[in-house]
Amino acid sequence: MNWRQKVLDFDNICDRGEGLKGLIFDIQKFAIHDGGGIRTLVFLKGCPLLCPWCSNPESLAGKPEITFVCNNCIGCGKCLEVCPIDAISQDASNGKGLIIDRDRCTLCGQCAKHCYAGAINIIGRYLSVPELMEILERDRKFYEQSNGGVTFSGGEPTAQPEFLKAALKETQRRGIHTAIETSSFVNWETYASILEHVDLVLTDIKHMDDAEHKRLTGVSNKVILDNLRNISKLGIPVKIRLPLIPGFNDSTRNLEATADFVEQLSHVQSLDILPYHRLGEMKWGQLGQGYSLAGVEALTLEGTEARIQLFRDRGLKVSIGG
Amino acid sequence: MSTQVKVDPAVATMGPTERVEKIKARFLATTPEICAERAKLITESYKETEGRPMSIRRAKALEKILLGMSVYIDDDELIVGNQCSMPRSAPIYPEFSCEWVEAELDRLAKRTADVFLISEDVKKTLREDVFPYWKGKTNHEIATALMKQEAIDAGNAVAYTVGNYYFNGVGHISANYGKVMSEGLNAIIAEAEAAKEKFDYADAHQMKSLHFLESTIIANKAVIAFANRFADEAERLAAAEKDAARKAELLEIARICRKVPAQPAETFREAVQAFWFVHLVIQIESNGHSISPMRFDQYCYPFYKASKDTMSDEQAQELLDLLWLKFNGLNKVRDENSTMAFAGYPMFMNIIVGGVDREGKDATNELSLMLLQCAANTKLYAPSLSIRIHEGTPDVLYLKATEVSRMGLGVPAYFNDRTIIPALLSRGLTLEDARDYGIIGCVEPQVGGKTEGWHDAAFFNMAKIVELTLNNGYDKRTDMQIGLKTGDITEMNSFDDVMAAYAKQMEYFVGLMCHSDNMVDLAHGENVPLPFLSSLVEDCIGRGKSLQEGGAIYNFSGPQGVGVANAGDALTAIKKLCFDEKVISLPELKEILDKDFEGAENIRQMLVNRAPKYGNDDDYADEIAVESANIYCREVNKYRNPRGGQFQPGLYPASANVPFGAVVGATPDGRKSGTPLADGVSPIGGADISGPTATVNSVAKLDHEVTSNGTLLNQKFHPNAVKGEEGLHNLINVTETYFKNGGFHVQYNVIDRNTLLKAQENPEDFRGLVVRVAGYSAFFTALDKSLQDDIISRTEQVF
Repeated sequence: MNWRQKVLDFDNICDRGEGLKGLIFDIQKFAIHDGGGIRTLVFLKGCPLLCPWCSNPESLAGKPEITFVCNNCIGCGKCLEVCPIDAISQDASNGKGLIIDRDRCTLCGQCAKHCYAGAINIIGRYLSVPELMEILERDRKFYEQSNGGVTFSGGEPTAQPEFLKAALKETQRRGIHTAIETSSFVNWETYASILEHVDLVLTDIKHMDDAEHKRLTGVSNKVILDNLRNISKLGIPVKIRLPLIPGFNDSTRNLEATADFVEQLSHVQSLDILPYHRLGEMKWGQLGQGYSLAGVEALTLEGTEARIQLFRDRGLKVSIGG
Repeated sequence: MSTQVKVDPAVATMGPTERVEKIKARFLATTPEICAERAKLITESYKETEGRPMSIRRAKALEKILLGMSVYIDDDELIVGNQCSMPRSAPIYPEFSCEWVEAELDRLAKRTADVFLISEDVKKTLREDVFPYWKGKTNHEIATALMKQEAIDAGNAVAYTVGNYYFNGVGHISANYGKVMSEGLNAIIAEAEAAKEKFDYADAHQMKSLHFLESTIIANKAVIAFANRFADEAERLAAAEKDAARKAELLEIARICRKVPAQPAETFREAVQAFWFVHLVIQIESNGHSISPMRFDQYCYPFYKASKDTMSDEQAQELLDLLWLKFNGLNKVRDENSTMAFAGYPMFMNIIVGGVDREGKDATNELSLMLLQCAANTKLYAPSLSIRIHEGTPDVLYLKATEVSRMGLGVPAYFNDRTIIPALLSRGLTLEDARDYGIIGCVEPQVGGKTEGWHDAAFFNMAKIVELTLNNGYDKRTDMQIGLKTGDITEMNSFDDVMAAYAKQMEYFVGLMCHSDNMVDLAHGENVPLPFLSSLVEDCIGRGKSLQEGGAIYNFSGPQGVGVANAGDALTAIKKLCFDEKVISLPELKEILDKDFEGAENIRQMLVNRAPKYGNDDDYADEIAVESANIYCREVNKYRNPRGGQFQPGLYPASANVPFGAVVGATPDGRKSGTPLADGVSPIGGADISGPTATVNSVAKLDHEVTSNGTLLNQKFHPNAVKGEEGLHNLINVTETYFKNGGFHVQYNVIDRNTLLKAQENPEDFRGLVVRVAGYSAFFTALDKSLQDDIISRTEQVF
């Protein structure tokens, strides 16, 4: 089992088959900023939040999705030929590129299968825990050498609680360090059962004001903040991550409130600031969707430093970039 | 950890002194030129010695050069000794080959890489006083006359090239520098005198040995006289010097040059000067490259310790930095084709630090760290700097090496004691000698002072063999049937048929390559023995034989396979797409390759994206790459050389992957005709899409012990991946994991793509930018554009 082979398999993508499977949209090796040492990052697909700055918009929907990368297209026209329901048409507006009718598309995978240049892809594959383990084991020697491990990210990993639990449990059983990267937007009972198999939690605080949080992400922050207080009691090490979005959550008031909250928690290893960047913008287009943050400038290092000085002033351990 | 010497990292934190900066600035402002002195002197000497034994003629020629060439001492210098009449200039070695010099004389200043200025006077001297004498007498012409026509044809089709030693000296040696420092050349002369007693002048064969011993005595005396010429020059300059401090420095230079290398060195500075004279003269005598100092931190350490009370660490660091600048002053002109394979004025002089000593204990000392600091202080491409890693490598050394790696100079290169020591044992070295190994040139291990390794015997074009296999042995480019008829592809019904044909072609061409090497080897023994160098390698004096005739204790010939990843991925694509999935037939594929994918871009994309690729920890592709390399290695292992040694394979390219790619048509890995091959054992640029851990896992599947002539893995990192304390550990962890799994060598480039693109656009602003080019570092702006492009396109590991 090899992730690259898996993503080149376009047959029966939507068929989960028998047994417990997780919907995964990417697996990245040599991740070095996500929980210590050299790690493998497993990205689970599907997220209950909708943050406009999301740099992995292909992670949001809880089902496989079709994407089109215009730059890769060599104009061979094979996709138009093989689509059984004529859901693909040429983009007449600029003469280059395709329009995919995503409402009618059945994700049969024929277009992607014949798109050798990799312009059309189907994002998301169902994997069983044993299949996943085969991939993770490949880099065991690196985890051991570097005190690294595996980090489950998303999307929102806790949105697939049964698969996540099983995968974490098996990873830990094999003696591999486990971490999750989560919004913590999940009911506590489920969360607690997941945390039994987690060595390190990386969790976001996106906004301290509930109304603002709702406006930005579509959900309340109440359950998130409660969960963080609960985790603090369990004694699991936590890294707090703060995506810093200019004009959205970078006001002094919000940052002060964040600092107040973090100071109350115990077992916090660090506060990682993730400065806004526009790398996700291109991906929204590939999914055929608009980008609501268009025009917001990426943060510079100086701009970031100026905003987070107040954390340093309070003696909080802050890092930039996670 | 078994650290023998507790090393304080503070010893190696001194930055460059003003003196070092001044000499470096002068170096950077100098464009290399051609110098005719050596060529003129050797031609005169050969005319004078016609009819005498060859070894004596060679010694007399060296004597004539050393006594007749210009010597000078530059401002600010403390370590003295020059190769040519002008700084950075290159001499001509007509006895090895000069047909190409004559043909390319007017192009040297105009070519695209490694430009050499040449004055009209120099051209006139070469045309009138040098070239006419050598017609028909060069080692290259004599070797050619010995070769089979089939071997010459295969060489012309670039199935392989033996060009390096065919046109040049062998180099690729490490002399016994430690012995020169501790005993002096007078001791070597005495040894040769004593050895004469063993041989019987009445025996015609033994008389040859007596001539050889006489030649070593002439040569060593000439080197002592050469050093004394620098003492004379220093005294002359001192007499005219008004500045009292400089005057004292010059008088000290004079004192030292009267003493070493004739007598044993007693101080650190004397040892460094003795080293430099010997290293310089080997270069002047031999016309090779990769003349490698190897374990300088070991054999120079007694002198560092002896001077510790009278010399500060700042002074020691400055002397080493000055030595570093001296290395950069050595130069060599190559023909335009070879320049493509060895671009960037490289001399491949490899210094290695750390590792274990002859008893197996950690050998790290203060000099190990200070030599790493030299690279940081000078930021120049020479010498090649390496480090040996073993289980007990202390953190202080590992971290220092990693800090230097992070600077983006491409040095040091990391070598794995855990693989290399057993590999050398399997080639017949004693345990003590295997533990004492160093690196020659790029990645070739041997024990210094005892080995004639012929490490760069040839480059073998593995991708060309795939092309020839698909064309039944016919080479389209030269329009010749150069290979065997191993079967038409329309008759190949399984992947095994294809592999069998590939193996047969491999067997045939490796045989021709080894034959060519051996003919060149024979010619060197008869025409261009090197008496001075031979006297510094065990056991030439004892055996009464030059290095070129088998005088060394260990003898090897090491030809390199180039394009493992291309051969492997091409065969993988055939297996996967033509036989497993049957999406395209082999004849259809061949037709598309013949047209260089014209009108079939979608098929090319299929070959690139739908077949597994070596370098992604995918066993399907990795197993075929490993097998295609093993076939090469098994064939090479079958042969022996005329010096009584064995052939041993390596897998590294220098920069031959670029010119080799230029003669290979489109290949089934989706590579277009004429584009570069992958370098070393690294994956194809852009095909390694699964990150560095997967690459390392793939490459570790090769048998790095059988490839005892060396393998080379390039890894390029974005500065982000290596920033901070954590970043240093990331590099160490990648190295350690690769090495625990049997890796041989790894080197890191830490630069970003944008920097390289900018440097390509505005070379003037980036004159000092050093990059690693597969086994050595070079000025990026000195490289040919195609090689610059190749470096840029190698996948960058961004996170």
